[in-house]
Amino acid sequence: MKFCVCIKQVPDVTAPIQIRAGELSMDAGRVVLNAYDASAVEEALVLTADNDGEVDVVLIGPERATETIRKALAMGADRGAHLVVPEDTELDSAAVSQLLAGHFKDYSYDVILTGKQAQDTDAGLAGGMLAERLGLPYATNAVGLAIEGDQLVVTRQGDTGQEIIVLPTPCLVTCSNDMNNPRIPSLKGVMGAKKKPVDSAPVAEIPEASVRVLGYEPLHTREPGRFIEGEPAEQVAELVNVLELS
Amino acid sequence: MSTILASVAVQNGSPSRASLEVLSRARQIADGQGATCAAVVLSPDASAVADELARYGAQKVYTVSDPIFARHINTPVLTALEAVIAEAQPSIVVFPSSEGVKDVLGALAVRTGAAVLPDVASVEMKDGGVEALRPVMAAKFMARTRAEGDLVLVSVRAGSYEAVEAPTEAAVEEIVFSFDEATLRQTLREVVGSTAGTVDLSDAQVVVAAGRGVKDEAGKQLVEELADVLGAAIGSSRAVVESGMFPATAQIGQTGKVVSPDLYIGVGISGAIQHVAGMSNSRIIVAINTNPDAPIFDVATYGIVGDLYKVLPILIEEIKKVKAVAA
Ligand SMILES: Cc1cc2nc3c(=O)[nH]c(=O)nc-3n(C[C@H](O)[C@H](O)[C@H](O)COP(=O)(O)OP(=O)(O)OC[C@H]3O[C@@H](n4cnc5c(N)ncnc54)[C@H](O)[C@@H]3O)c2cc1C
Repeated sequence: MKFCVCIKQVPDVTAPIQIRAGELSMDAGRVVLNAYDASAVEEALVLTADNDGEVDVVLIGPERATETIRKALAMGADRGAHLVVPEDTELDSAAVSQLLAGHFKDYSYDVILTGKQAQDTDAGLAGGMLAERLGLPYATNAVGLAIEGDQLVVTRQGDTGQEIIVLPTPCLVTCSNDMNNPRIPSLKGVMGAKKKPVDSAPVAEIPEASVRVLGYEPLHTREPGRFIEGEPAEQVAELVNVLELS
Repeated sequence: MSTILASVAVQNGSPSRASLEVLSRARQIADGQGATCAAVVLSPDASAVADELARYGAQKVYTVSDPIFARHINTPVLTALEAVIAEAQPSIVVFPSSEGVKDVLGALAVRTGAAVLPDVASVEMKDGGVEALRPVMAAKFMARTRAEGDLVLVSVRAGSYEAVEAPTEAAVEEIVFSFDEATLRQTLREVVGSTAGTVDLSDAQVVVAAGRGVKDEAGKQLVEELADVLGAAIGSSRAVVESGMFPATAQIGQTGKVVSPDLYIGVGISGAIQHVAGMSNSRIIVAINTNPDAPIFDVATYGIVGDLYKVLPILIEEIKKVKAVAA
């Protein structure tokens, strides 16, 4: 089966971040492959290793995001496509899905995978939007994938249980990081990635965003708490008391 | 007159708490706009909850009744919501941010040409647009976002608003819906590990959450017993879902569920930002952890530095005692 994984470069959310004049300020170098996308790449690699096939990746981002494509190639993906946008271009989910839909017009894949959300915005919309634009059946929040003949069996984490969904191909699936633990690229993988093809082209027209970020604010802070000291029995006695459990 | 529409999920025969929260918010927004507050229910027997929705302020209830809604499948949900939106012509649709909603929100937005604000902590009308605060960067910050357009879809995190009764009379409109299952391209083979019928984590008033400090079956039993004496739902960190000790439906956090109970007790959880992203809105947070430097203590109302294997047995016994006295 032929897979294409849509990947995003995101700021490392565990890095120090401040707000300056309503804008987020952080070390521009602290960027990573979105963890949910990394799981999608991993799953595609595992499925194609067992069943044959290919794994491409596609990324929308500024020039420097090429390193994130190389990361996926180092993990084992075969080919990359880079839709290049100027640094600091604001794209909402609708715009991202529109650009990706344009990209997929020129290719044919059995399965398109995306992360279920991006670690920085947590919007979780682009996958479903892309499926709708391409007219593909889809499933979201997958925690497991298997190939059965020419169908894909998705284990989806739903509200009250795991839904086992059978999708025909072509289809689209958004992946949870609960699906697997993405491999760390080997040195050989990193070296090999440098020789793999990356097709890079500037985006001709940036779609207008229907949703805009006006600015960033700190979270409302919680009232400071306190430790309950003492031996376990004393701690428990005081806890039961302050919680007024009776 | 414009309409603010709230999407309602039915669980165990009643509207979910998160649904009543968004209905209450829809009513407040409608009041402010002089608009109609309406609700939409997709369920095998959708009209059964109409009275309950009127009690929370729905002046109009759109019902779509079909057995197919007994289990979540995205295609029929999309078709039904599209039909209701075409009929009701709302300016805003608010949804509880459940997995079922996350599954359809993007596709529905494309289908209806709507702008969409997902997973928000607050939402209001402002200067003719819809503005929302959304947690971003693993809920380290809030982004103030604005959407404009004739139709805006908004999904709201559980616990962001209070469900408040506001009794009114509701006109019920049954939307004719027939779904030809033969046109379904995907099939739902089965649902495994179902927790349907129990208290949903996002709806729970008390949550006991277990982390990697819970190392074995004995520890798990202590967590279950504590939850039992408190009438709590059981949550967990990702670490113990990964190890297979707790089901993925229990996971709280960025990947998992958002909870906002009156009382959250974290047991052997370090408090990684991705976990805290799903529980920092709890009213009281109790943390039990052997490491005084564990980041969970930064958000805890009450911190207990201690071994859960020593603290929980005493805690369970003490709670049993006070409950016995109270009863
Ligand atoms: C993109 C992404 C999304 C994620 N989403 C989530 C999510 O949704 N939910 C989530 O939880 N995590 C999530 N994570 C993982 C998260 O980063 C942490 O790895 C995870 O929360 C750690 O779980 P833990 O606190 O149980 O384990 P640990 O971090 O290992 O902490 C265990 C704690 O138990 C304490 N302990 C040990 N023994 C005892 C004892 N006897 N008594 C008391 N305390 C004890 C230790 O001091 C320690 O603090 C995500 C990560 C990523 C990258």
